[in-house]
Amino acid sequence: MKIVAPISRVEEAAPMAAAGAGEIYCGIVPADWTDRFRSAGVNRRAFGNLTRYEDLAEVVDIASGHGATVSLVMNAQHYADEQVDVLLDLAGRFAEMGGHALIVGDIGLLARLGERDLPVRLHASSLLAARNAEAAALLGRLGARRIVLPRDVTLDEIAAMAARRPDLEFEAFVLNDGCVFEEGNCHTIHLPGRLGGPICLDRYATGYSRVDGRALDDAEAKALAANDECHDRWLWYRFGCGFSQTPEGLPFGPCGLCALPDMAAAGLAAVKIAGREGPLERKLASVRMVRATLDRLEATGRADAVAAFAQGLRRRPDLCASGYMCYYREVLDRPAPPPQDRAGDDCVSAAADPTLPRAM
Amino acid sequence: MTEIALTLVQARLLDGLLAGGAPTVAECAARLGWPAVPLPEGVAGLPVTRFHLGSEFCETLLPTEIQLRQAVAAVGAAGLGVALATPVLSVAGMEALAGLLPHLPPGTEVIANDWGCVGLLRESRPDLVPVAGRLLCKMVKDPRLPSAEWTRLYPHGIHSGPFGAVLARMGVERIEMDAPPFARMEDFRSGRVRVSVHAPYGFSVKGRACRIGSLSAEPGDKFVSGQECRRECLIYVGTLSRGEAGDGDGTDLVTYQRGNTLFYRHSPAMTAAVDAAMAKGWIDRLILNGDWNENRRAH
Repeated sequence: MKIVAPISRVEEAAPMAAAGAGEIYCGIVPADWTDRFRSAGVNRRAFGNLTRYEDLAEVVDIASGHGATVSLVMNAQHYADEQVDVLLDLAGRFAEMGGHALIVGDIGLLARLGERDLPVRLHASSLLAARNAEAAALLGRLGARRIVLPRDVTLDEIAAMAARRPDLEFEAFVLNDGCVFEEGNCHTIHLPGRLGGPICLDRYATGYSRVDGRALDDAEAKALAANDECHDRWLWYRFGCGFSQTPEGLPFGPCGLCALPDMAAAGLAAVKIAGREGPLERKLASVRMVRATLDRLEATGRADAVAAFAQGLRRRPDLCASGYMCYYREVLDRPAPPPQDRAGDDCVSAAADPTLPRAM
Repeated sequence: MTEIALTLVQARLLDGLLAGGAPTVAECAARLGWPAVPLPEGVAGLPVTRFHLGSEFCETLLPTEIQLRQAVAAVGAAGLGVALATPVLSVAGMEALAGLLPHLPPGTEVIANDWGCVGLLRESRPDLVPVAGRLLCKMVKDPRLPSAEWTRLYPHGIHSGPFGAVLARMGVERIEMDAPPFARMEDFRSGRVRVSVHAPYGFSVKGRACRIGSLSAEPGDKFVSGQECRRECLIYVGTLSRGEAGDGDGTDLVTYQRGNTLFYRHSPAMTAAVDAAMAKGWIDRLILNGDWNENRRAH
């Protein structure tokens, strides 16, 4: 499985590829776009983008020199007609640079790109929310060669979809993306912090009522409060455990490392690390964690050993045991790894690897 | 003339609504316990001519085969139109949908909110009528937006040529839309497909992990994909408020959460935009949210 990892600046391409990112993805918001549309809406993220075509070409060259490829995101939820025209030109330009793939979030744009004979692959973004084989097949008919699965699928669903559609590649999230809702069904904007930020992080207070008009009794009120307390805790995990990291700089937060054996067995083509807007140190640490876990899988072939290794990387078994940090929590339902694996020195040495970045 | 459809998650509510034949919107409002909700001028007196059964937001709320069969028969016997509303579907949800489709007579509308559903209909039941639901018709609908300027950051492509071409390729001739915050009459003008608009509530975002659906789960089993729930969303509604952060300048729309989905109530200005588009003939169907809404009186 390839590691798909993000960059936001040219300087990040070489270290990310050297660390093990086989596919680098990035966005671009060129000046001619902002001049024309007065927005940064080339893709889903307003920040963390390249701004010059020359930089994009340089990223492609650098990645190629390291044996990696580059994918360009065009993953806004939706585009207007005139924006699609500009994006088609951008796609052609990217193909001429030697770009590998376009990650597309709008089905109309995907279809329009699929009609063209561009020497660049089309990957259906997780924004297209393909949660079943029929959706994957339809996107494939429109031109997608790979389906990036939404982060809220289960391992059984991944395996079922991949088995049903061997003609398509599949990619799944493995680290860092903390959306609470489904990104493909989110019609909100990440507002500036002073206006509330992302809606899932905004400080909404919830007042519950029964729809039959009766008042909540004490037991109901207590149960609802306890549920919300758990929900607050889950949110903390979803958002990087308070956006924290280990002393060695390994990020906490949404994680699917223990599930890598299942993903490999399902035949996944790639696993995705999110966090394009994050600092380079965080991205590098993420790539190295995934690489190290994949290496362990290749060396042992044992899912329990991989889980023990992965859970030992950050040396916080309590966070892993909660399940709230997991993309694929079902892995915790399996028998516990043998003690010798769980406490293995390899876990500690990997986390203390001097090549890993230190705490910032 | 705009026709009126009513959505129902709970098919059992049909009995009360159809007891006297085709009900008016006002009669449905009285039976379903709506307070005075913002609706376009004159809508309250119009007859409801269609019922949309099922859920756009959660596959757990799809009707059983028996419920669907009985509901389709009851609505048909009243001489009214019927549609099956479907949500984003998991692998298991797609199997459930496949079990429901045989109970729909040819010509029945299926509201698809998953491209897999669109594909399935095209492949296995081309005699049914696919409708692109509002989850497929994407636009910025953040209830917190302080001004219309923000909606222009990501202009919606519902009426764009490329999206229209995909719909045409899939045999979709009708779309369902929400009225977005700061809606303009022109937002509803298509020219390519027929346009249904939901009122008086729009949806902003939905999740798969369900907060209220986790109420009865053990802590380690809460907020997980594919979780089992007790349909707590049929019992509780959550009113959301940002306090002074949202209410200070009065721009936040009234917001609530039902099940896994966050909704907003139309402002008077949004209702006026819908009203104007109806008058122009750009909206030919208004879809009223029957039972999965913010209302709290006995159902």
